[in-house]
Amino acid sequence: MFSSSNQQEFWVIKHLEMKRILKNFFSRLQIYPLAGFVILAALGIYPALSGSVLHVEILLLAAIYAIFAMSWDILTGYTNEVNFGFAFFIGGAGYLSGACNVFLGWPPILSIPASAVAAGIAGILIGYLTLRLKGPYFAMATLAFAGILFKLAFILYKITGGEEGISGLQSLTAGPITDFYLVWIVMVGIYILLILYSRSKHGTILKAIRADEDVAQSSGINTAYYKIEAFALSGFLAGIGGALYAHAQMHIGPVMLSGSLSVIVVLLAMIGGMGTIVGPLLGGILLSFLNEALRIVEAYRIVIYTGLLIVFIYLAPQGLINLELIKQSPRLKRFFFGKEEVHGSSFRS
Amino acid sequence: MVAVGFVLVFSVGGILNLAHGTFYMLGAYFTFIFYSLVFHSAKGSVLIFSLILAVLSVTALACLIFHFLLRRKIESLVYTMVITLALALFVSEIMSLIFGVSGTSVPSLIEGSVSISGIKIIKHQLIFLPITAIILPLLWLFLKRTKIGQSIDAVSQNRIGSLLMGVDVEKATLITSGLSAALAALAGALVAPVSSVVPEMWLFPLIKAFAIAILGGMGSLPGSIIASFLLGYAEVITSFLIDEQLTEMVSLAVIVFVLIFKPAGILGYKTS
Amino acid sequence: MGPLLEVKGISKSFGGLQALRDINFTVSAGERVGIIGPNGAGKTTLFNILSGFTPPNSGMVLLDGQNILGKKPYQIVNLGLTRTWQLVKPFSGMKVIEAVSVPTFSKRYKNIYPAHPQGLKGINQILEGIGLAEKIWEEVENLNHSELRLLDISRAMATNPRILLLDEPFSGLSPKETEKISRMIIDLNEEGLTLLIIEHRLKELMKLVQRVIVIHFGEKIAEGPPECIIQDPRVVEAYLGERITDLGLA
Repeated sequence: MFSSSNQQEFWVIKHLEMKRILKNFFSRLQIYPLAGFVILAALGIYPALSGSVLHVEILLLAAIYAIFAMSWDILTGYTNEVNFGFAFFIGGAGYLSGACNVFLGWPPILSIPASAVAAGIAGILIGYLTLRLKGPYFAMATLAFAGILFKLAFILYKITGGEEGISGLQSLTAGPITDFYLVWIVMVGIYILLILYSRSKHGTILKAIRADEDVAQSSGINTAYYKIEAFALSGFLAGIGGALYAHAQMHIGPVMLSGSLSVIVVLLAMIGGMGTIVGPLLGGILLSFLNEALRIVEAYRIVIYTGLLIVFIYLAPQGLINLELIKQSPRLKRFFFGKEEVHGSSFRS
Repeated sequence: MVAVGFVLVFSVGGILNLAHGTFYMLGAYFTFIFYSLVFHSAKGSVLIFSLILAVLSVTALACLIFHFLLRRKIESLVYTMVITLALALFVSEIMSLIFGVSGTSVPSLIEGSVSISGIKIIKHQLIFLPITAIILPLLWLFLKRTKIGQSIDAVSQNRIGSLLMGVDVEKATLITSGLSAALAALAGALVAPVSSVVPEMWLFPLIKAFAIAILGGMGSLPGSIIASFLLGYAEVITSFLIDEQLTEMVSLAVIVFVLIFKPAGILGYKTS
Repeated sequence: MGPLLEVKGISKSFGGLQALRDINFTVSAGERVGIIGPNGAGKTTLFNILSGFTPPNSGMVLLDGQNILGKKPYQIVNLGLTRTWQLVKPFSGMKVIEAVSVPTFSKRYKNIYPAHPQGLKGINQILEGIGLAEKIWEEVENLNHSELRLLDISRAMATNPRILLLDEPFSGLSPKETEKISRMIIDLNEEGLTLLIIEHRLKELMKLVQRVIVIHFGEKIAEGPPECIIQDPRVVEAYLGERITDLGLA
């Protein structure tokens, strides 16, 4: 029973409301780094444009390494305790998924999540065991755990195939391009999850623990719980990455449990920029490209790659996105870090 | 008595106590030492000479690396650990490039084996104990009696305090790295003929050395000595009773157990 | 209703060194109690024990009749006992407002303020009271010493304690800043907060507290109102010495 002018008013008001809501939404969105969206979008669009299977395979590897780097970052980047045994979760889940697939006949859609969950549980365990360790002790303990698993891969060669690894894993999807998009979706999902996590109370608490665990405790925070939680999350996501990798390559070998892999993941994340999620995303992807680009000197590739990584970390110890030149420029800073909350747009009382 | 071989690893562990952070380098040097030894010994039977040369070159390299790469950042533990481990990886990749993935072999100083009360022992291994017995007391004397040694001691206990007391911390740390590298190199060179020489060989000695250091207590040289013997025997027993392949796991298990059940001695160690 | 805090027979030794020997005292709700003593006398060790960071060798600590020994520090905070830190270094790498928001994630906050949102939204009240309102978007690293001290106290207050242990709150502060914090402490006390304060700045402390406990070489050697303490010969000999004239109360 509205008169027509009342109806018009009604819709004008609705329209203005919608505009306001959208505006609010976008301004809230701006606190999340644009760089992340750009990188993810670029990766997503490229295969559709290019169609080159080779390129897509490279992108797939890059995406997987980005997943590794981001998962590592959520623990070490936010607690400053360096996890040197990351290969434990990557290779562990990879082997588990492979074994379930090849020996038990589980399809990847089942074995991948299952292995990831197992990796997460391992994260809880190891997190608990290393709870009171700091600095080099923590680092060496994580290295030791990875070492144990590495050795086990050889000792239990009947199951794990020893040096050869396990072959004949079922692939993820029908073809390389769909493979990539699957991984891409997972990567985007993980990125969003980690960004939200790091901006939530969990991230704040981890940062507090990093700054001073005693003070965090005397603020009533059960620091042990949050440390273990971060460890488990980190392990779980690494497990997803590792299992995905195994099925994408249709093979899993001891190199995915090696100390070298652990060190490389650390370098990827650190060169990108620890404690930011965007940094490791960038680092993982760019440096994987570098690795591929070096294939022209295949014989020396690994050496040059490792050497370059060392050079990079020496030149930019805080990581690429933490470089002074980015921090000084407000535009660049906003691109990589998101708009800073200076005026409480996200909290009205 | 095969355990005797591990006594050398502890001399590495002994130095670990003194320079936290530097020890991550040692992994790299282990590998390097072997290969340079091989390289030099290709010239013939001048083995001892090659050994000495190898040790010296590794030490020099260690000092260089310390000087250029680490000096600036040594307070930041994360960075030190990452760079030294990355270096270890780098060196290991170089080695596999030059010498191939399956490794090379190094001839023993003394060929052949000997039978002592029914147990076959490779003669080369008999050298280990005497050499260690000489080196360790020398090391101890160095640390306790000489001025440099004492400054190293001071720095290992309290870096900033020593700085304030006028100790030349940088020089002490430099010497410590050099010393630990030298010992690691020596250990590596001596063990080379009786163990496999492959590019990945840096990881496990590093882990073992760490296990010994934490078992014996960081900062205590006699502690490491006892710890290394314990570890050595534990490995031998494991190898006899359970399975030969599990020996390397022993040190890993040690790390895990000690760190978990005896953190009291370690909690006091806080890095700033 | 019994005393809020009861400390019975607390002893602690580190290796060969006896840090605390048979410490006994109680604090009733609403009191302001000071702890003084020469450096190294064991005062901070006592705080560490009360707040759960160090286990004693023997003794009991009862908070509102409940034994809190053996509980983890965060559990003790959630029961209502919070401490501040002598060496202020709270949460560098974060912004002030983030730092003060940390306690809002604790169980205690959720229980006391179930309606209040956690996180940044929940701490407006505290910040208003504390006088750091203009600085809330600053990086913690940029604060000066007295601001850091205020930050630590705000953080502690955000846990909504029943009893607050202040470890040398005035150290490193100018007279004006000391005055400001003193007044704030008294205001908080009037609102019902019980206080236990370690201090070396005796003049300010004596004006602030109702009762003083003196600890010397790990033992309690005297206890009583400030006027009596400064005249107590044992205290004078052990600690005050020529400082009596400083205090202006003698």
